[in-house]
This record gives sequence, structure tokens and C-alpha cells, in this order.
Amino acid sequence: MSVDPNAATQSFPPRPPAHRAPSPARYLVPALVAAAVAVGLGVYGKTHEPAGTAFNLAGFSSTGAVKSWLASTAFFFALIQLVSAFMVYGRLPGPRWSAKLHRWSGRIAFLVAVPVAVHCLYALGYQTYSTRVMWHSVLGCFFFGAFSAKMLLLRSERLPGWLLPFVGGLVFSVLTLIWLTSALWFFRTFGVTT
Amino acid sequence: MKRPGPLLTLLAGLLFGLFILTLNVTTGTKTVSSPYKAESPAVSASPTPATTSPSARPSASPSPSGTVAAEGVYTGRTDDDSSAVAVSLRGGRAIAYFCDGHNIESWLKGEVKDDGSLSLTGAHGAKLTAAPKGSKQLRGTADLGGGHYTFTIDKAKKPSGIYRANSQVAGAKIVGGWIVLPGGRQVGIVTRDGAPSAAPTIDPRTGVTTVDGHRLTAHPVTP
Repeated sequence: MSVDPNAATQSFPPRPPAHRAPSPARYLVPALVAAAVAVGLGVYGKTHEPAGTAFNLAGFSSTGAVKSWLASTAFFFALIQLVSAFMVYGRLPGPRWSAKLHRWSGRIAFLVAVPVAVHCLYALGYQTYSTRVMWHSVLGCFFFGAFSAKMLLLRSERLPGWLLPFVGGLVFSVLTLIWLTSALWFFRTFGVTT
Repeated sequence: MKRPGPLLTLLAGLLFGLFILTLNVTTGTKTVSSPYKAESPAVSASPTPATTSPSARPSASPSPSGTVAAEGVYTGRTDDDSSAVAVSLRGGRAIAYFCDGHNIESWLKGEVKDDGSLSLTGAHGAKLTAAPKGSKQLRGTADLGGGHYTFTIDKAKKPSGIYRANSQVAGAKIVGGWIVLPGGRQVGIVTRDGAPSAAPTIDPRTGVTTVDGHRLTAHPVTP
């Protein structure tokens, strides 16, 4: 995919406040898309009969391990996201390419998380049989909604300066919680296995 | 100016997700079916005798309009609420687990007859018959452990179902059986060298449990 590096950096740091009253569509569209994504994933996970491929072949543990490592990879890139975001906003000293780092680490984190989510939704579904599982299901759906909102908000200019950091921080926090309720739990239960 | 980058990212993720989903759907049935067979108690060993026998108790066999129960797992409790029953149907075969959570349990197996009814047998003369009631229920009776039970059980979704674990812990042969009911409640028995007792709970997602300080893995059972 082609990305124009100049165009991206232009509006990445917060801009001065908008001169005019912003059209509500700029917030409404990302919010509605986010809600649709989150609810859609949840409904699919709830209504689709879980295929149970988690219990695959020589044991689910391999599937679980693969997912845990993918999720940990996503979490690692999410940490880069956090640091590079501070660099982009000038709160940390960073190289000139920190914006690029932020964009690409985010893309990698997202793309790595996608197969994990697909497996979760397809094989396990939306479940609530324990507190951990319930939060993981809720937050997992919420994450992809929040991420969609973040992506769509990036396209708008003249947002309030706090909005992108807030949504970005929300996405990061939720991903952290998802990781804690799945991969960390898996590694603590089964040991750090591959 | 609107930047296309974020949209492309979202689009790439969506396409990637759909691609993996397609892979799952197209290969899913193949990869799922074989391991289940390997891990469930062998059903193939005994071709059920006398599928023609009309002497089987007629009370349970009449199936209204000859409906055949949908494949999948059915779970529930006996009418007297003393025990849990689960039946798993697939490919014309059935496997059932009956468990009171203390000391009565039985694994039963058999085939689904043309009229949709089941007549399953297990060790020590255990018998279980059932017939579909509507499209999402099985109604039947079980005679085992010296008792006669009636039950109506409902079609359930994962992680509800039957789980089984075999292992060797400190020289003792451990066999565990669990029925996970809708809502997450579990009924299970662990047998150590033939001595049954209440089982610890399993994590229905992974099948992991701890027996006598050792971690065991219970696997879902299908015919």
C-alpha cells in the first residue's frame, strides 16, 4: 500500500483549535462505525455456533500457544505505539521517523491481532462463563470498534487536541487488558510454551 | 486533504480477517473431525447388534413423525435432578455420558436409528434410550447403577458438552468425565483406579483441570 509520508506527518501533532464549529459528522461517523463493528463482532460471536477448532489435533495447546504468541507480538508493537506516540507529540525525544514508526508499528500490531480475533470468534465465540472470559469477550469486540474509530478519526483534521491521544490511549489500554486476560493467563496456566 | 492510509489499514485488516475466516470454513470440518475421533472412546469396536429388535422398550422409541435429532450435543439434568446427562450425536453415531457428580457414572454408545431414536449401551449393563422431542430436545430414559431415570435434555452450544480425560497420576489410572451444562455449571467424576469421586472443575475453554496436584487436560467427546 502506498502512503505519502509528507501528508501524514502534516496533521499528526495536535493542531490549533478549529476556527469554526466542527460538523458533528466528524465524530458521529467514527463513533457509529465503532459501535457497529463492536456490536457486529459480538453478535457474530454469540450467534455463530463455535466451531471449536481450538481443540485441534495434538491438543488445543498449540492453537492457544500460537494465539498467545501472536497476541504478545501485537502487544509488543502496541508498546512501541505508546512510546512512538509520545515521540510524535514531542513528549519524548525521538527520531524524525517516529511518525512513520508509529504508523507501521500500529499496522503490524493490528494485522497480527486480526487472525487471533478471527480464531477467537470463529472457534470459541462470545462467551461469558467466567469473569476473565466475559471481560475478554467484551473487550475484544470493543477493541476493534475503538480501533476503527481511531483510524477514521485520523482522517479528520482539526480535531480537539486531546481526542486522538485519548482514543489511542483507550485502544492501547483495551489491548493490554485483552492480552492480560488471554495470553498472560495462557502462559501462566500452561507455562511459556510454543 | 483526506489521507487514505488509515482506511487502507482497516481495509487490509478486514480482507485479511475474511481470508483467514474462509480458510477456517473450508478446512475447518476436516481438521476438526479427525482429532475428535482419536480422542473419544472408541465407538467403532462394537457394531450394535439387533437393530431390528422390536423388543426394545417401546416407551422411548416412538419418535413423533420420525424426526431425526440434529447433530450436536444435548445436555441437561434428569427429571429427578439427581444427575446430569449429555448426548453427543454425529454421523449416525451417539455417545452419552451420565454422571451424578458423586459416584454414579456411565459412558454409553450406540447408533442413531432410522426413526431418529437412540438405544445406547455401556459397561455393567447400562442402557440409555432417547428420541427427539421437537428439533432441539431429546427425551429418554436411563437404566444404570441400579436406578431408573427419565430426562429431557436440550441442544447445547460449546463449551457445553461432554469432556473426558485419561491419565496416570502417581501410578494410579485416572479417568475423568465431565458434563458442562449451559451457564457453565459442571458435573463430573474422577475415577482413581476404579474408585469414583467428585471431580474438580475444568476450564471449559481449554479442558484443563488439576487432579491430586497434577494438571490434566480433558477433551471434548464426540462419537
